[in-house]
Amino acid sequence: MDIFEVYKEKEIGEKAEKLFREERSLERLDGWFLAREAAYLNREELEKLPGEMAAAVKLDKVIDSMPLSISEHAVFAGTQRDAFARTYALINPAFEVETFCGYCDATAVFDDIVPNEEFTKERIAAVKGYMEQTPYVRKLQEVYNKYEEYTGEVAFFIEQVTGHVIPDFRGALAFGVESMIRSLEKKEKETDNEKYKVNFAAMKKTLQAAVKLASRYADLAGELKKTADPERRAQLALMEETLRKVPADGADSLYEAIQSYLILWQVMCLEQAPNPYAFSVGNADRIFEPYRAKDDLTRQEAADLFKHFLVFFNIGDRSWAISQNVLIGGRDAAGKDLTCEMSYAIMDAYYEMNFPQPILSVKLHKNTPDELYAYMGKFFFSPGVLTPSLFNDDSVFEILRAGGVEETDLADYSVAGCQEPLIMGKDNGNTTNSWLNLAKILELTLNHGKSLITGKQMGPDFAKDLSGKEMLKQIRERFYEAAAFYIEQMTDAANGASEAISKEPVPFLSAFMGGMDSGVDMRDTKEQGTKYNGSGCLIHGLTVVADSFLAIDKLLSERPEEADRLLDALLKDFAGYEELQDFLLSAPKFGNNIPEVDKEAKEIAVKISDMVAGRKNYLGNGFRPDFATPSTHLLYGYWTGATPEGRKSREMLNYGVDPLYGEAGQGLGFRILSAMQLPYEKFRGGYASHYGIDPKLFTAAAYEERGLQFKNRVLAPTFFNEENKNIAPFYLYVNVTTPEILRAVLENPKKYAPSGVYIMRIHGTFVNFLDLSPAIQQDIIKRLDLDSTRV
Amino acid sequence: MKIMQRGFNYSQDGPGNRLVYHLQGCNMHCPWCANPEGISVAGVPMYITDPESGRVKEKFSCKECGVEELFDEILRSRAMFFEGGGVTFTGGEPTVQFQELKALLQKLHREKIHVAMENNGTNPKLSELLPFIDYLIMDLKHPSEEIHKKSTGVSNKIIMENLAKVLDNGRQAAVRIPLIHGFNDTEEALEGFLSFFRAHPSEGMTLEILPYHEYGKEKWEQCRMVYEVKDGYVSQETIKRFETAFRDAGIVVIHT
Repeated sequence: MDIFEVYKEKEIGEKAEKLFREERSLERLDGWFLAREAAYLNREELEKLPGEMAAAVKLDKVIDSMPLSISEHAVFAGTQRDAFARTYALINPAFEVETFCGYCDATAVFDDIVPNEEFTKERIAAVKGYMEQTPYVRKLQEVYNKYEEYTGEVAFFIEQVTGHVIPDFRGALAFGVESMIRSLEKKEKETDNEKYKVNFAAMKKTLQAAVKLASRYADLAGELKKTADPERRAQLALMEETLRKVPADGADSLYEAIQSYLILWQVMCLEQAPNPYAFSVGNADRIFEPYRAKDDLTRQEAADLFKHFLVFFNIGDRSWAISQNVLIGGRDAAGKDLTCEMSYAIMDAYYEMNFPQPILSVKLHKNTPDELYAYMGKFFFSPGVLTPSLFNDDSVFEILRAGGVEETDLADYSVAGCQEPLIMGKDNGNTTNSWLNLAKILELTLNHGKSLITGKQMGPDFAKDLSGKEMLKQIRERFYEAAAFYIEQMTDAANGASEAISKEPVPFLSAFMGGMDSGVDMRDTKEQGTKYNGSGCLIHGLTVVADSFLAIDKLLSERPEEADRLLDALLKDFAGYEELQDFLLSAPKFGNNIPEVDKEAKEIAVKISDMVAGRKNYLGNGFRPDFATPSTHLLYGYWTGATPEGRKSREMLNYGVDPLYGEAGQGLGFRILSAMQLPYEKFRGGYASHYGIDPKLFTAAAYEERGLQFKNRVLAPTFFNEENKNIAPFYLYVNVTTPEILRAVLENPKKYAPSGVYIMRIHGTFVNFLDLSPAIQQDIIKRLDLDSTRV
Repeated sequence: MKIMQRGFNYSQDGPGNRLVYHLQGCNMHCPWCANPEGISVAGVPMYITDPESGRVKEKFSCKECGVEELFDEILRSRAMFFEGGGVTFTGGEPTVQFQELKALLQKLHREKIHVAMENNGTNPKLSELLPFIDYLIMDLKHPSEEIHKKSTGVSNKIIMENLAKVLDNGRQAAVRIPLIHGFNDTEEALEGFLSFFRAHPSEGMTLEILPYHEYGKEKWEQCRMVYEVKDGYVSQETIKRFETAFRDAGIVVIHT
């Protein structure tokens, strides 16, 4: 049976739209609770098993008992709905900067389920109570309790990392999981190592569970077939036939490959329910192009099928499965462009659907064809349409090479979460493991370890016996001493969180992350299961601290007599010190091509990166410096007092490596020149940067021409500048709009976003602007900062 | 040198992406000036109200920068001179700071950096700068000496002489005419312009009309100066009439 025989022309695309609307009407997400409850109900059996096997059996029980459904609009079976809760802060209407305290409480998710007759308070409390007693949650709680004095007002923060990797499903798509099962059986027999034996057996069990899930869906399709009209009957028959084949066996068409992929993804997410954010598909065009080519599908046919792939990533009324990434484009290690027909088919699907998830990222390099830039024009310049994140492969390859990634793995880097480069199927980067707030550390240094916000003594005094002018003269040394202390505490705490999450092994995912070779779970903290491993550290406040050092220098050189007043001014949040604040604001600021402050930012980035990279994670691998602040620049700013460069207490910190909002008013040229000075080679974990661009600056009539203008005036000077002899910037996201347009959208959404969807980027991810919490909507508007991007 | 503003601009003040410097000081006093803070040779304080706090902050119109400092800044900005771009000097009137400007232009010329300069044509020593300028922008406001002097405070005699020399020489020159109602949107002015250009035909010349706008009006208030133009806007018909007349005279009319 051929998919294009059982569906009429355009029907596949129309069904994708209907399916999306159906999904967005779902206001309850209870599947994750059932998944957790399955562990609770089978606790006695599971407690007797070794950890890895217990995880496999638990997953199997979940798959046995999970209620399944197939929508009348479905072309494929499968959903990841049962792995996600209505929790993610930035699209949660209950989110407030003032009260948010991270995802540190692994049982807080139980508060996101509204009790009803089926899910009673008692039922929820029983599962929550069980989970609170699991070794994972107890260990995690112990870690948070130990470091609370530092995390409460965010000198740093830590979290256990779920999701955030890129599984390699290519082998399973091509040869089927049955071939993996056979291989595991052989390995199980051959090894004498008891741990590996159990692990191989556990992986096998989870792969069998995936086949079981497909089989349950096939049965359901068969059942539905009985009462369906002839047209739908043929469609369900195809679905049933396909599910009896994949993922057990290899796929022979794009339809089968996508079906196989979705089942595998569903199982992977169920294994980590609830909320395994930021799994990434990886280089989707390269994964699916062989199947498109084999089928000889047209671009439109491939795009229509891919629309259903995209719907799968939208969960519930606000598309809760956030930060799952799909990449296209890029190059291989030799520099050959890898853009293919499937790249454009995927982009067609994205443009026509304009869904809030999953994230689209485009990998560029100096030989990316102009056709791709021209095509991107309509994404950048259509109001309310998603815009891709942009990566510079030429730089990323250099950085990964220097970081020890082998030549043959380079092309397989992709991005999990917002912008963290990882090797598909081989790299567990624990990307969001730790979060460092340099601006808070500066505050604590200046105020002798005490918080300016609450007056609490948060940490040691690194400027004992120093005050006024003397303190300011030594501020850099003292700051770095303090930073070393907090980085040590942070990495110890982060390793504790990794140890906690290791108590929840993931045999299914491990099978796609190198576990088939190593025999080791990818979360194992004693033995490395993946080829590459590290732990992330997201570093906040870079340019605020650089600007602060320069403002202190200016104060010491021009008004030394006022040095004694600075601390009091910060304590009073500049009330009564407005003139001093103006003076400090007039000091050089990063982002304006002023050498002394740009050099300062570089020096801070180098020193802090080296300090972070010098700390070892649970396996003895380095932490990876990542200068990204995914909306946490707001949260951490809220817990940071006034800073010496003139920023007021509780105001946002700078975003990623960007200048602080409003401080780089001389246009994009100067911003790019400053940004070029930063040491990107040190940013092994990634970094973030955003340009808000006024659409009026691009005047060509056709989208394609504007896409090329955008390349020539914005992207090429940033990424592929021949005059730049350093490692060039490698990440950027853009919003092409103005504050006025966004305010109009908020005031009159029916007029400007009749579909209810108006996509904007918040950081590495994009979202429906109308779904966002008000604080985040205002952040987007404020951070457009169009003065800093005039061209 | 006294610098009012600096920033990149794409293709409006010369080809490609350009680093544009506005130099402090002007010898004219045009009532429609879009950068009135640049008129005073010494610079002026500006009083700017912060929209959020409502506080009035004082900011001086310019900053002092040494020739070397500017030269270094230009060199380290090279990476952004793409698509044939470079540096543009405008004002105020850049030739008011003649000696320092000339020294800087010579250094840039040696470094083969593409230089554009927009000037009002009043400097008698303009020709000394021309060898170092790749793209010359000349403003021309009114053909009548009397009206010119009345509105700008300066005679147009040297302007016409300088411009005539440039045009007769055949070198590239981008001439700009600010078109302002009540000043030069008359038939007489048009005829005057045409007769001047007919007398000095040049293949190197382009002409651009800059219709009156009030983007700089707020800055007059910030400088505590009175904006006196009442009704300077010109209609689309007038602009078209001027452009057609120039085109009919064989002149290349451009829009940037």
